Order: sequence, then structure tokens, then C-alpha cells
Amino acid sequence: MTPLSVVGKSVLRRDARAKVLGREEFCIDRKLPGMLHAKVLGSPYPHATILAIDTSAAEKLPGVRCVVTEKNAPQKLTGTGTVRDMPLLAKGVARYIGEPVAAVAATTIEAAEEALELIKVEYEELPALFDVETAAGTNPPVIIHPDFSNYRKSTPRERLCPERPNVCAHIKIYKGDVDRGFQESELIVENRFVAPSIQHCALEPHAAVARPETDGGLTLFTGKQGISRVKEDIAAMFGIEAYKIRVKQQYVGGAFGGKATIYELIPALLALKCGRPVKWVMTREEVFVLGGPRQGMVLNIKDGFKKDGALVARKMEVFVDGGAYAEASPGVTQNCSSVAVCMYRVPHLKWDGYAVYTNTPKRRGMRGYGVNEVTFAIESNMDIAAEKLRMDSVELRRKNLLTEGEAMLNGEIIHSNAVAECLDKICQSIKLDEKSPSEGAWRKGKGVALGNKYSSPGSHYGARIAVTDNERVVVYHGADAIGQGVNTVMAQIAAEEFGISPDGVDIVFSDTAITPYFGHGSTSSRTTFNLGNAVRHACAAAKREIFERAGARLEAPPEIMALDNMEVYIPRHPDKKIEVRDLFTSDDAGEIVGTADYKADCIPDDPKTGQLDPALAQQGKRFMAFYAYAAKGVEVAVNTETGEVKVLRCHGAIDLGKAINPKSCEQQSEGGMAMGIGSALYEETLMENGRILNPSFTDYRVPLATQMPLNENMKSILVESAPHKDGPFGAKGFAEGVVTGMEPAIASAVYDAIGVRIKELPITPEKVLMALREK
Amino acid sequence: MKQLVTLRINDTDEEIYVEPWWTLSYVLREELNLTGTKEGCNGGHCGACTVLIDGKAVMSCLYLAMKAQGKEILTIEGLKGHNGPLHPLQEAFIEHFAVQCGYCTPGLIMTAKAMLDENPNPTEEEVREGLNGNVCRCTGYTKIVEAILSVAEKQKL
Repeated sequence: MTPLSVVGKSVLRRDARAKVLGREEFCIDRKLPGMLHAKVLGSPYPHATILAIDTSAAEKLPGVRCVVTEKNAPQKLTGTGTVRDMPLLAKGVARYIGEPVAAVAATTIEAAEEALELIKVEYEELPALFDVETAAGTNPPVIIHPDFSNYRKSTPRERLCPERPNVCAHIKIYKGDVDRGFQESELIVENRFVAPSIQHCALEPHAAVARPETDGGLTLFTGKQGISRVKEDIAAMFGIEAYKIRVKQQYVGGAFGGKATIYELIPALLALKCGRPVKWVMTREEVFVLGGPRQGMVLNIKDGFKKDGALVARKMEVFVDGGAYAEASPGVTQNCSSVAVCMYRVPHLKWDGYAVYTNTPKRRGMRGYGVNEVTFAIESNMDIAAEKLRMDSVELRRKNLLTEGEAMLNGEIIHSNAVAECLDKICQSIKLDEKSPSEGAWRKGKGVALGNKYSSPGSHYGARIAVTDNERVVVYHGADAIGQGVNTVMAQIAAEEFGISPDGVDIVFSDTAITPYFGHGSTSSRTTFNLGNAVRHACAAAKREIFERAGARLEAPPEIMALDNMEVYIPRHPDKKIEVRDLFTSDDAGEIVGTADYKADCIPDDPKTGQLDPALAQQGKRFMAFYAYAAKGVEVAVNTETGEVKVLRCHGAIDLGKAINPKSCEQQSEGGMAMGIGSALYEETLMENGRILNPSFTDYRVPLATQMPLNENMKSILVESAPHKDGPFGAKGFAEGVVTGMEPAIASAVYDAIGVRIKELPITPEKVLMALREK
Repeated sequence: MKQLVTLRINDTDEEIYVEPWWTLSYVLREELNLTGTKEGCNGGHCGACTVLIDGKAVMSCLYLAMKAQGKEILTIEGLKGHNGPLHPLQEAFIEHFAVQCGYCTPGLIMTAKAMLDENPNPTEEEVREGLNGNVCRCTGYTKIVEAILSVAEKQKL
């Protein structure tokens, strides 16, 4: 294999210059001629019948151009997941506090805000449900979607659960006979863990500008994850031909899963009604309510072990609070089960996951898509078991780890798994065996946990490469530049393929009228893997076209040619060569173009059992595109007087196959670990009777610079020893795996420090003190 | 009622009619199209809107535009002069990979400038303390702290 010249180098990020100059145009900065501003009226009740809406006073307010309610909206239901259960604006009933009931477009933000106060809505309050386990019952006090059976859905029948009327999906992963497994076990460890709803807190609020076009179509400027999908959603909702919908964006000010939620239908509706562009920027408070926060889960886990530590059986029952509409919750409930499937060898598994409706804000998915919560339960339970077995917790993990070539618990054959190496490296680097002395009330402890994050195949992902007559290589792609550095990485990949500097590559991105289809968008850690492959294949196609053209000139077959620094040559005849720029004469066609589309080679599972077809699995067919494994090691200090927990050291090893841009990978890793510190110690969407109590950055605590370890104590270990056979240069995506495992590692370190185990996140001073008192 | 005010922004006088309740960030972004100053929360909690007023870092979403009359306002757009080289902090943020989504970046750079102007030789702890008014959700701050310290280090030479 030829050595790589650009891939694997920490090329400076091409988006950084415009960003440090304040010149990057985010969606929130966009202004269009004639543009109006939107504001949205939310329901004040968590569950209520809407008896009447009077918009007449609001409509008369100077500056107001349009007021919409469900009466002006298409009557179709939407949903960005498997169930179409959500009206564009609440229709007849509101199911959560803040659910959009009406919207206004006005010439100024102030007029739009004033108009909201003039809209009169008559409600009749209904009993509401907030507790996920109560809601999931077979005889719940309230049924949140009485029409559920009539909704359009793509959920297989086996994953519906009519006996639990508020459950929108029941995911089953069954292997072996779990009851027999527990009978054969010599130790059973059973616990309940809780992970709350948390918030993405991308710094740019959700924003969109919708512009009606003269042909009846619509252009949407947005800042989201998944431009191809929102195009389809808008076309379906308004019955407009998809080719008349254009979705464009530039750089997005952070996303973390929250911007995959659909919010653009409201400005689109207003724009179509007013015939003018309409901009909607959510307030920070609205982002907390409408931005699709993380679900929140209750996880019951029961593990059976042999005395030697071998796992025999595992039973998990997971209740996923999806809020008032299904959105991504069925998908989260399915995909988070991968943690139970792809890491440890367990002969008998019974996983029952329930995606549940409650009268709380609808959820989307957050970085990890449920995996972090499940990992918290599994890894914490492994620690608890190790102590009961009088085994070292690292040894217990090692003993049960699945390895390359083994079958996962769904039958999928493991490929590209460096979890054991991640574990070893973390144990060494955090010096797990060396205990630091306490300082006054501060007790110190260390903890290690494993994690992994799958990447779902989703859909297909395209790329187009153009080579221009001035020898620029242009990459066209439809992925989302959400801060991960996609454009730098794709420029590196294209540069590598053409043997040029990344400075010779231009990127045109995120515009459905120009750039190729990009399936489910930049979610599920998929961009490097899927788009990287598409770019490589598209480069190969463009090079074939170059060789075809050169072949006619050099009178040689294209197969024997090579390309270096934009010169075509024939290795066996060094005198025969032609520069690419000379392939654009009148005899040749114009631009040289190569296109490619990538779809991971995956198959669905059996909805009754979560198992893959064994014959296909043996042939190497996978359920997920790939899995990135991880290990985290932390040292904490716990104050026994105040209950405060500080993370002193934080080391993460990530099994990413190949670091295309190592410094960019470190960025992801450091940011991911920070997010994990936040969810372990600080973050929780506090709700009371369906109302979010802390929808601001003062009351909802995102980690600040002083809450992070000092730089010398932050360490990212990029593990490249298990390249993926289908990954571009062996690379896997890892932007979620860098978070996973932080919560259990911190919980374990707290236990090591003070001997109390917190099973409900976040690990607040109050919980620590209570637990210390009970000890 | 709107009043005519003169705001001195990035060494230029801007005459503009403003409502008494308009914040500086609103005027910068919506009236003057200086959108390098970002808004993340409009409550003074995230620091994305940080600008310098008479050399001090200020959250412009909490600062009334009228109050800024007669003061020197510096925004991210004015940090580097026309055709001039990048400010050392801008250079360092690029070189040290301190930028991810970039939405918090202008506010962080302005905060860092005020910090280094006041204390050219800060410890890492002081830098972190100084950044506590700015939220960055992407980076975990490691490379931002590194970038700021590298500028302080170079200034010593």
C-alpha cells in the first residue's frame, strides 16, 4: 500500500478562518428582502382540549401579516421517526406544555411577540401523565394518543404493543432462555438505574428562514441535521413536488442530535400563507422545550454470573420517555439495545425496551442516541457484580468481552473491535492501581468504564466530484457541517485520491438543489464513514473519466495510467504524459465529473427477536454499519462535607479505525468527554407536572471551563489497531463513542472515593450527601 | 420613541436611531448587520455576544445600546484591521484547533482579548476562571485554553 500523504495529518480546519473573523454566516444571521419574523404560541397546559382559538385581535395588530392555527395548516400528521402522530400545529388537543398552537408572522419580532398575547385560546384541561413507568402500564390512567392504531407508521407489527396503550414501540432482543440462564447462575445482581432527560445546548439556537418561490415551491435556509429529510418532510406536508423544495445551509452552530428534530414546518407554513420569507429563531427557552431533548430512561437490569465471573444471563427492561410524540424515541429504544448486544458475551439475553408517550415535550435523540444511558446501567452493574464476586472489575470485563470474529448477541459477526486495547491503554494511562491520598474533606477515587456506539446504516449517501479546467477538485456533498470538521476531512480524502494538497480542493455543501442526496444527515456518527466512502468512489469515477480522455490523447489504454499532482502519466513510459488542464479542449467535454452513492451493507433484524438471519450474518452481513468502541478513565475528588464532585483527570481511548485528521479527532474526544462530565454531574431537564423548570443556561448547568480538568489531565488516545474493512482508509465514525462511558466511569470513581454508588444521574452534591448519610 | 445616537464601533462612528430598550447585540446584529457578534441565550449566560466596551468584556445582550454612547465598542469584526494580519488570538484559535462549530468563537476571542489585556501572563487556572462566562459545547475548552496560553507565552518573548 502506498503511504498516505494527506490522510492521517492534522491539516488545519478550513472553516476556522471565517469563524475566528466572525464572518461565517450561520442560519441565525441570515436576512432576506421582505423577510418577516415568526413567533410561536405554546400550550400552557400539559394536556388539554382546545375548544376555540380567536386570532382576530392579533391579526389586526399593526405589523402582523399572518396568524396561523391548525385550521390554516394541512391536516396531515408528520413525524420524523417511524410514527406519523404529530400535527403541524396542535389540533383539537395539546399534549405538552409549549406545544405549538398558533404562530404569527410580523414585520418585527416585537410585533410578533405582542400578537401572541392577543391570541385567545380556550382550553379544557385533561388529566395528564408525567411518569414514564405509570404511562407504560397496561391500564394507564390516561391514553395520550387514543387514535394511535390509526396513525401511519412503518413500525413492524411485532414492535407494537397494544396491551400498553401509551407505548409506541416495544423492542425485543431475545437470545437463549434467560430463565434457564438465571437458574444456572451463581450470582445474580439486579439494579435499577435512572438517566434523566438532558439538553443538547448547541450554542446556535434552532433557526430557519423559509422563502416562498414563484413556482409555488419553497426555499428553506436552515441550520440542522438532515437537509434531505427535511426536504421530504416539507414536500409531504404541503403536497408540493419535491423538486420545488430547496433546502440550503452553511455551517451550523452545533447540533448534537437536537437539530434533527423537525421545526421548519412552522416558518414554511407562514411563508406560504404570507407569500414572503419568514424567519423563525427559537428563544433559548423554546430550544429547551421544542429542541428535542434527550429522552430520559428508567433501566432495570438483572445479570447472572458464574463464580468465575462468566456472564450467563442478562435481562433488561428499559422505559424510554419519549414525551408527547414519538419522533426518534422508537429508534432510540431500538438502537440503544446495541450496547447490550455488541460488547459482552452473554448466552442468554432478554431485552425489552419500551418507547413511551408522556405529556412532556417531545424528544429527539441526543449524541449517543440512548447508548450512554444503557452503558451507565450495564457498566455500573458490572462494577457492582465485580465487588460481589471479589473480582477486579477490569478483569471481569476482560473475561466477558466479545472479540473479533465472534457472534454478537444478535448473531452479527464482530468486525473491527479494539475495545480490549482501549481498556488496557486507559488502565495504564490513568494509573488505575495507584490511589491518590485524600486532602482534607476531599477524597479521591478512580474509575474506568467501557462503551461503544454503533452507527446505523440509515439510508444512502452521495458525493459528486468535479475536476475543473483550472485543475481544482470540487467535492459536492449534502452532509451537515455541524462543527465536526466534515469539509476539512473530505478535502483530505479527495486530496489523497488525487495526489494533491487539500488546498487544491473546494467544497460545495448542504444544498439540496446542487449537492447529492445525503440520507439521514450527519447523525449516528456516520459522516466520515459514509461520505468518506462516497467521496473516494466518486474520485475514482472522476479519475476514470480523466484516464479516458487522456487515453485518446496518449493513444494508450486508460488501465495503465496513473495520476499525480494533476498530471496523467504512464508508469512504464515516463515520456508519455499529459496535464489534466490540457484535457479540456474543444474536442473534450467540459467539466470532468464522478459521482458515487454509498450504502452500508446491512440487513434488518427479526422484529420478534432482534436476531439476524444466521446464514446472512455468517456471510458477514451486518445490522449496523460499524461499532466504535471506547474506554474512559477518570479520577475524581469528592468533598464529603459538601457532596461536590470534581473531575481531576479524564482520559478517553476511542477505537476509530483510522484518524483521518488526528487533531480534529482530539477535538471531538475532548468535547465528548466534557459532555459526559456534564451529564454525569450537572445536567438534568427538571420537570414538574410537565413544565421545564430550568430552561436557561443559569439554571441548566452546562460544564464551564473551570469544571473541566486542567489540560495536562485531559488525554485522548486514538486507537487505530482495528481498521474497518469498509471504512475509508479504515476509518469509523466516533463522535458519539467519545461521550459513551463517561457517566459510569465517574460513578465508579465516586464509589472508589467514598464508597457510595449513585444510580440516578446526575451525581449531584445532594445525592452524594444523602447517600453518605445512609451509608 | 427612537432616538438618534452615535455609537463608536470599531473606530467608526455609526449614527443610528434606536429604541431605548434595544440591546447592543440587537443593534449590532439587526440594525448594523455586524453579525459576527452572536446571540445564544439573550440572558447573559452564554457569552456568545461578548464585545469590548472601553476595553472591558461585556455581554452585549444585556447592555442597552443607548448606554454605549461615547464609548469605544470593539466587536470581532474590528479585531483585525482592514487588510491587516489576523489578531494573534485569531491565529492561535486556528493553529490550536480551538474552533469547532465556531458559534461561540467570536465571544470567546473577545473575552480572551480583554483577559490578556488586563493580565498578559495568566496561569491556566486564571484563563479558565476568565472563560467562565462563556459556554462552549463542542470543545471541552481544552484547545481554547491552550490557544490563549500560547498567545500569552508569545507575548512574553
